[in-house]
Amino acid sequence: MSALGYFDNPWALKIDLMLRGIRVVDPLAKAWACGTSGIDMLLPEETLVNIPCREEFTERSPYELRKREETHYITDGVSEMNAEILPMPEFYSRKTTTGVPFGDIAVVHGSYTVITPSPKCDFFDTDSECRYCTLNKNIDGVPKRDFTVEEVLEAVGVVLKEGLSKIIYLSVGFTEGDDGGIEFLSPYIKAIKKHYSCLLAVEALPPKKNRWIDDTYALGADSILYNMGIFDAELFEVICPGRSRLVGRKRYLDALKYAVGIFPNGTVASHLIVGLEPPGSTRIGIDYLTGMGVVPILPIYRPRAGRTLRIEPLTTEIIIPVFKHLYTAVKKSGVNFKWVRDISMVTTPAEASMLMEGAESEMSLLKNLYGSHLGLKAAWGLSTIRRKLRVKNGDK
Amino acid sequence: MKVEIDTRSIWVLLGIKTLRPLFFILISIGLWAVVTMEPADGLSPEGQRAIGVFLLCLVLWVSNMVPVAITSLLAIVLVPLLGILPRSETYAFFGNEAVFFILGAFILAGAVMHSGLSNRIALTMMKRYGHSPRRLLVSIFLLAAVLSFFMSEHAVAAMLLPIALEISKALGLRPGRSNYGKLLFFALAWGSVIGGVATFLGGARVPLALGILQETTDSTIGFIEYTVAVFPLVVVLLIVGYLVLTRIFPVDIPDVAKAMGVIEKRAKGLGRLRYSEYAVGVVMLLTIAAWSTLGHTIGLSTVSLIAVAVLFVFRLVRWKNIEEYVNWGIILMYGGAIILGSALDKSGAARWLVESLISDWATSQWAVFAVFSFLAIALTESMSNAAVIAVLVPVSIGMSDNLGIDPALLTYAIAVPAGLAFMLPMSTPANAIAISSGYVSVKDMVKGGFIMFLTAWVVFNLVAAFYWPLIGLGG
Ligand code: SF4
Repeated sequence: MSALGYFDNPWALKIDLMLRGIRVVDPLAKAWACGTSGIDMLLPEETLVNIPCREEFTERSPYELRKREETHYITDGVSEMNAEILPMPEFYSRKTTTGVPFGDIAVVHGSYTVITPSPKCDFFDTDSECRYCTLNKNIDGVPKRDFTVEEVLEAVGVVLKEGLSKIIYLSVGFTEGDDGGIEFLSPYIKAIKKHYSCLLAVEALPPKKNRWIDDTYALGADSILYNMGIFDAELFEVICPGRSRLVGRKRYLDALKYAVGIFPNGTVASHLIVGLEPPGSTRIGIDYLTGMGVVPILPIYRPRAGRTLRIEPLTTEIIIPVFKHLYTAVKKSGVNFKWVRDISMVTTPAEASMLMEGAESEMSLLKNLYGSHLGLKAAWGLSTIRRKLRVKNGDK
Repeated sequence: MKVEIDTRSIWVLLGIKTLRPLFFILISIGLWAVVTMEPADGLSPEGQRAIGVFLLCLVLWVSNMVPVAITSLLAIVLVPLLGILPRSETYAFFGNEAVFFILGAFILAGAVMHSGLSNRIALTMMKRYGHSPRRLLVSIFLLAAVLSFFMSEHAVAAMLLPIALEISKALGLRPGRSNYGKLLFFALAWGSVIGGVATFLGGARVPLALGILQETTDSTIGFIEYTVAVFPLVVVLLIVGYLVLTRIFPVDIPDVAKAMGVIEKRAKGLGRLRYSEYAVGVVMLLTIAAWSTLGHTIGLSTVSLIAVAVLFVFRLVRWKNIEEYVNWGIILMYGGAIILGSALDKSGAARWLVESLISDWATSQWAVFAVFSFLAIALTESMSNAAVIAVLVPVSIGMSDNLGIDPALLTYAIAVPAGLAFMLPMSTPANAIAISSGYVSVKDMVKGGFIMFLTAWVVFNLVAAFYWPLIGLGG
């Protein structure tokens, strides 16, 4: 019998692991995790999870990654569960023709590969920076350059060739202007769509004018994410001062609502970070977003040394009902949640369904149908036809 | 990139997309059915095919499923392909005078606009009469009509085109959207059309009809006699035309005051009359004079093209300045329409239509009058005015003896309605010019034109029934 009680459901264990992290003893595994955001593991039932293992809080984790002969397993000292360390993508060790390591450009998170063409955000190193942000890598003070369209294209090429992810996720930080970063991303979106038949998700800041949302869709984005992070109005102001002042919570909600009318059902999403606000307000956020037709995605906050924003107490017992509520709310609102799943860093409504009694068959259908090569091709084809039908060039 | 996202349900959009191929399949089957069907009694196979092509083009012109110019090209291809007319003859029709008249009109309008003269005239007109949108509209409508009493209606439309374009620009009217923009160009086209029937000078059709009448019967109609007979019709049609237009396209600008400030500023900015404006103005005045005096002898298009040559000889314009004003789409459309009209005429289809209709309806003198006038006004929508006269007048004169009707009366019944084309751009260059502005669509023209078509026919018959006896005509 497990001391913690999550070893009988890998999906529940995923949440607990993301919340508490893991201690890694095996030097090889440690090397894997080193330099990345955590260790990507595959639990039974194809449960993909990125487990924090470098942060200070993980030292107190009850979980430990051990190895018996050739097999890794996770244990809390009483129970154990086999777990497979996902091999490091082969392309991480290669470089672009311009000499940039592919791993600097593209990071695999399960079915998604995240590419951030510009390492900049105007909030970095100012008091406007989002307090939980981990993207500011400009520690040495030497500004990093943007990746060129050609470099990004090369990276997408190797990602798709290696076949690890089928969905490319482009993200951008805050810049002044009314476009939310889309003007900057547009050559990347166009080039990726021109050269590859893959689905493309775009994470941007809500633009000031809705026409940029139209443009994002017209350019080729299949999915859009305006990540609120925090739903509670006051906490949003405190934790995200820059976004609160220069974008505004209301604009997030308005832009998401507008995007729902433009993008296909289930492809407009927003992150609500569990642990940065009371679970009650995350639940309100889930209801509000699903009511608008937006898919809420729930990452779990990872405290960094000296910068703990986590609300206390925060335990898996407290947050599991939030994930269950996510599934119920999404189901009730009729939002299609089938395309947003299998992301190691976050928990999606599709994964949350696995916490419910008797939901296994639905999830395995999802995996078989939507995760298959044919399913993704069909999704890409449908998305392309839909765009062709909907987008009218105003110049015509 | 300016994009618009159509947020209607995906099923609606898919439905719309499938409608298009379905539409083309259906009309192709329709054409095939007409072409392969056993010809009706008295109709040659070529005639039947010509009617099929005509119906196909009519549907395409009205539905705008392909650009109007492309429909015309289709007609040009189908006429020889279906053996209606030999290939060389078909393409030769494209060299028709009317096509070159329109080309000349576009170039002249381009020159006037490029020189800035039209801008000056439009601003002056707006300063003087443009204090309310309705007054401005009426002034353009009447100006077009009155000028068409004395010169070719085609020329009037061509002359007013740049002025109306400038006014629309000054008022910031959006092509295709603005009702007031539509009204301005309808006023220009319909004003010219209605005014054009008032005298012999409005177009070539009355002299042509008189020529045929004189050659076959030795009788004729005098200039004053004709104008007196037709004038009440012109007045009624101008009033009805104004009411119909403002009802279908309600004035959608509250006033022109907002534009007045801009207009004043622009008028001041124009400065003194420049040499180029003065010179182009003189060429234009001479052209108008030549259209009125020499138009019937050397042809309107010849006058226009000489004027165009003069503009270039004196380097008043350059080709690259003019190119953008020449609407090749409309020229192609008109050329195709002429080929189609000729195909209907030469294949005997038009005559067959007339004879089969007349034999059924020729029960009394007035019935014959009504039917001829109806045929004239209906055919002129799709054939050139001159072709309608050429088809109908000889038939009517031939029948007048049997029915005991004055052939001159039947000549009126054809010559006047043959000029009243309101419904389609290919009916008359004035309508084509209005469409070329981009403010009026073919659909708009059909909508308003259909009411005018019926009204004009009814009013013409009422005038003939009640007014003509008072002046001793037809009584
Ligand atoms: S806007 Fe995004 S990148 Fe910029 S500070 Fe906030 S979370 Fe970080």
